[in-house]
Amino acid sequence: MGEYVNLVRRAFGQITGHGGIRGFLLQLFRANDVKTGALIGIDKYGNKYYEDNRYFFGRHRWVIYTTEMNGKRTVWDVDGSMVPAEWHRWLHCMTDDPPTTHPPEPKKFLAKVHQFNMSGTSGCYVPYSTTAKKIHEWVPPKVGQQ
Amino acid sequence: MNRFKRADSFASHSSAMASSVARGAVKAVKPIFSRDVDEAKRRVRELYRAWYREVPNTVAMYQLDITVRQGRDKVREIFNKNKHVTDPRVIDMLVIKGKMELQETIHIWKQKTHVMRYFHETENPCPNDFLSKFYHGHEP
Amino acid sequence: MLRLPAVGRALAGAAHSKGCLTASSNVRTSVRASSNLVEVFVDGKPVMVEPGTTVLQACEKVGVQIPRFCYHERLSVAGNCRMCLLEIERAPKVMCSHNYSTLDCSSCRPWKGIFGHPVAACAMPVMKGWNILTNSEKTRKAREGVMEFLLANHPLDCPICDQGGECDLQDQSMMFGSDRSRFTEGKRAVEDKNIGPLIKTIMTRCIQCTRCVRFASEIAGVEDLGTTGRGNSMQIGTYVEKMFMSELSGNVIDVCPVGALTSKPYAFTSRPWETRKTESIDVLDAVGSNIVVSTRGGEVMRILPRLNEDVNEEWISDKTRFAYDGLKRQRLTQPMVKDASGQLVPTNWEDALMRIAAMLQGVKGSEIAAIAGGMVDAESLIALKDMLNKLDSEALCTEELFPMAGAGTDLRSNYLLNTRIAGIEECDLLLLIGTNPRYEAPLFNARVRKSWLHNELQVALVGHDVDLSYSYNHLGDSTQVLKDLATGKHPYCQVLAQAKRPVVVVGSSCLQRADGAAILSAVSTIAQNARVSSGVEEGWKVLNVLHRVASQVAALDVGYKPGVEAIRKNPPKMLFLLGADAGCITRADLPKDSFIIYQGHHGDVGALMADVILPGAAYTEKNGTYVNTEGRAQQTRVAVTPPGMAREDWKIIRAVSETPHVGVTLPYDTLEEVRDRLAEVAPNLVRYDDVEEANYFKQANELSQAVNQSLLADPLVPPQLSVKDFYMTDPISRASQTMAKCVKAVTEGAEAVEEPAIC
Repeated sequence: MGEYVNLVRRAFGQITGHGGIRGFLLQLFRANDVKTGALIGIDKYGNKYYEDNRYFFGRHRWVIYTTEMNGKRTVWDVDGSMVPAEWHRWLHCMTDDPPTTHPPEPKKFLAKVHQFNMSGTSGCYVPYSTTAKKIHEWVPPKVGQQ
Repeated sequence: MNRFKRADSFASHSSAMASSVARGAVKAVKPIFSRDVDEAKRRVRELYRAWYREVPNTVAMYQLDITVRQGRDKVREIFNKNKHVTDPRVIDMLVIKGKMELQETIHIWKQKTHVMRYFHETENPCPNDFLSKFYHGHEP
Repeated sequence: MLRLPAVGRALAGAAHSKGCLTASSNVRTSVRASSNLVEVFVDGKPVMVEPGTTVLQACEKVGVQIPRFCYHERLSVAGNCRMCLLEIERAPKVMCSHNYSTLDCSSCRPWKGIFGHPVAACAMPVMKGWNILTNSEKTRKAREGVMEFLLANHPLDCPICDQGGECDLQDQSMMFGSDRSRFTEGKRAVEDKNIGPLIKTIMTRCIQCTRCVRFASEIAGVEDLGTTGRGNSMQIGTYVEKMFMSELSGNVIDVCPVGALTSKPYAFTSRPWETRKTESIDVLDAVGSNIVVSTRGGEVMRILPRLNEDVNEEWISDKTRFAYDGLKRQRLTQPMVKDASGQLVPTNWEDALMRIAAMLQGVKGSEIAAIAGGMVDAESLIALKDMLNKLDSEALCTEELFPMAGAGTDLRSNYLLNTRIAGIEECDLLLLIGTNPRYEAPLFNARVRKSWLHNELQVALVGHDVDLSYSYNHLGDSTQVLKDLATGKHPYCQVLAQAKRPVVVVGSSCLQRADGAAILSAVSTIAQNARVSSGVEEGWKVLNVLHRVASQVAALDVGYKPGVEAIRKNPPKMLFLLGADAGCITRADLPKDSFIIYQGHHGDVGALMADVILPGAAYTEKNGTYVNTEGRAQQTRVAVTPPGMAREDWKIIRAVSETPHVGVTLPYDTLEEVRDRLAEVAPNLVRYDDVEEANYFKQANELSQAVNQSLLADPLVPPQLSVKDFYMTDPISRASQTMAKCVKAVTEGAEAVEEPAIC
């Protein structure tokens, strides 16, 4: 009987734990899920990281993305690459120590501001051509340099 | 399906008839199916009717982004394209080809893109006048 | 090479006058009596040949190709490769073929005892009743043996040899060689020589045919190449390390039957079977050499000569052959317009044409002018002229000046090389005035040298003393000489008066001077006097003009005004530069707000001053008509498509004419229609490979008497004096790295240009 009461309580908590009907619907549509859990931390962009170990491994850590990041509106247009490097390892269970308690060692290669993955956009990386040009075009001299 | 059975039996029947007629005819031109233009026209009408009935089915089956009306207009347009043909043998041949197309459409031997090719949506017309050819690039 | 004395020529005439009846390949000498022919048999087939014909030529006459390495139709006979050994039946019992040649006998002595008397077909004159066996057992055995000895010292590097696929040794060893080797000894190796940035030498491959040596001394007229050593240690080279400095040096690559001399810029780039060949015309000088453009994958790989007896025989100049890498550099590939800051920015065709149309709106017809450059085809010349005429402008000029006083360009004979290039072989006296044909028209000079060598041609030169590769009578470089020649006071006039077929050639460069009209008038008088005194038949033409740029004759035929004087006097608001890169007009000559359109294929002088750049096609990229200095219309063919957004030139002009506000749509859409229009204006321009007669010398001379311009005192100095002035004369050769290397090598020595590390 107590189990059932707990079940109902959890279900009720999932419905009410998102800040009213509005929050519940927003969560439902954005994340397709209404899980509630312990808030482990919020990164500087506003992504919220949750954990609930009652869920099966792999589903027990999740992120609710921020609504605006790097100048891009990310209410609906969310992307996995919004997770910064320091949280990525915790979120993917490479470690159990979240960066809130164990701040990452500063490294040169860690970006100051996390960048999205640019693949498929105009800003994506294109490797330079290694073949020689068949025709070298004339480049007009810059004004004032003649 | 039985539409086709009917058409097929009709075809074999008429070809047998046509050959018997050709044997006796003075002009030794062997008809394909039809002995005269009227008969050929009848076959065209039959084919048209078959296509007309098939269009809603096709639109649904292939999930085409067109209305049934547009599909039927296209069928009409394609039939009209050959309305100048008067030779019954040529008409017969066109009807045969039309039937082949219809069969391929009904049996989903085609894919969506093949059906939509009737509409020439992605085709760029070749430039004709000098200036557009010039802008377009080197001549082929 | 020493000039052959008259007696020697008569003796050696047999070798030199091959086919003089047909006048096909060698020097045209007077037609001999054809009655005393000798009958010989080639494999039993009878053929009548004239006495003195060699065995090899007799075989050629019946269509039997004899394998050869050292023999070359246009060179003297050496007879040292022995590949053409043939068996002869009923041959007279001479010791061996060397009875008739100048070689030592060591190479054929071994054969004598074994095979009887195989003779070298290239050096042995036929005798009556001989039966030449071209495929007998003995002949085949002899060839096989010669081939075996040739291959004994030839490296087996065909897979990395640039001659692979077009190698005579490769082909003939497949045809005539043995199928197995008996060779176990070590091979000889020879050090490679650095003879300049154009020719790569791999001397181990050399089979000592001495074709290159003979070419250099006979055709090119430089004694740079020679042989050193004897027997196995014989080497071809320059003896001391120096550059093979000739404007025709590239031809030794074609002449070399093996891969010993190959093209340095072409090294390791492509194979002959990979390339697509397009028969075309060269436009880097006014000779209009016939060329084959080899292309692969839309890229010009190399340029080779094409046979045309009337123009370039089978040679081309180094600029023609090696400047092709200039076609790949500094190219205009997209239209450009100047933005607000005055910077040229790439754009599309619509924008560029709209910009022109907008500018045209505010300009009257009389304020528009056009200048045509040196490499423009006749189609675009006529299109531009039609467009500007429709816009009510008559100011169409060429960059090259031609004096308009007197007959000017109204009489076509005034500005052509009337005698024609091949006609030089028939003349007996040549007077060159203010020109250096060696660098202005190398193949014309080669023709003069050939005639000088074989036909006793006397050459005299008025102008700067230059090395023409043959001896000439230098009359001085002042204009006073010209005046004296014209008035008959000069001592040389007596020689001139004795000439049977005189030719006077005036260089277009000296007509660029301020006193050009006076010079032309004086030259015209000299020519007319020479004609009268020689009593030569009416068809013989004396006065010739040697042009330097390929488009000049066509431009004058179509009706362009020579020289930009008109534009300088009446500066236009809108200037159309059609490939004009000589820099005759600068921004300083024009009003501040003038608008300059440049259409062409290279970013050079013209593109720098332009407001709008329209990228056109170079000569390998369009079907164009070019008229050479003789007045011979020839056409180029499309070998590769124009790069990027570049278009064929006449099409660009046609497109400009159709844009709104211009509204003078030209009535032709296809090349055929343009050529029809061309035929309306000047029918000779579409009669390809044909030279239209032009013969109004007397009238021209009478008109030129009216010129009352006095000659200036400045000496007549052509702009190209030495070989370093030869290489870079036009936008294509200026963009070419190979040509830049040549200039560097000529000025600083061959070692200044670095050798590629490979091979």
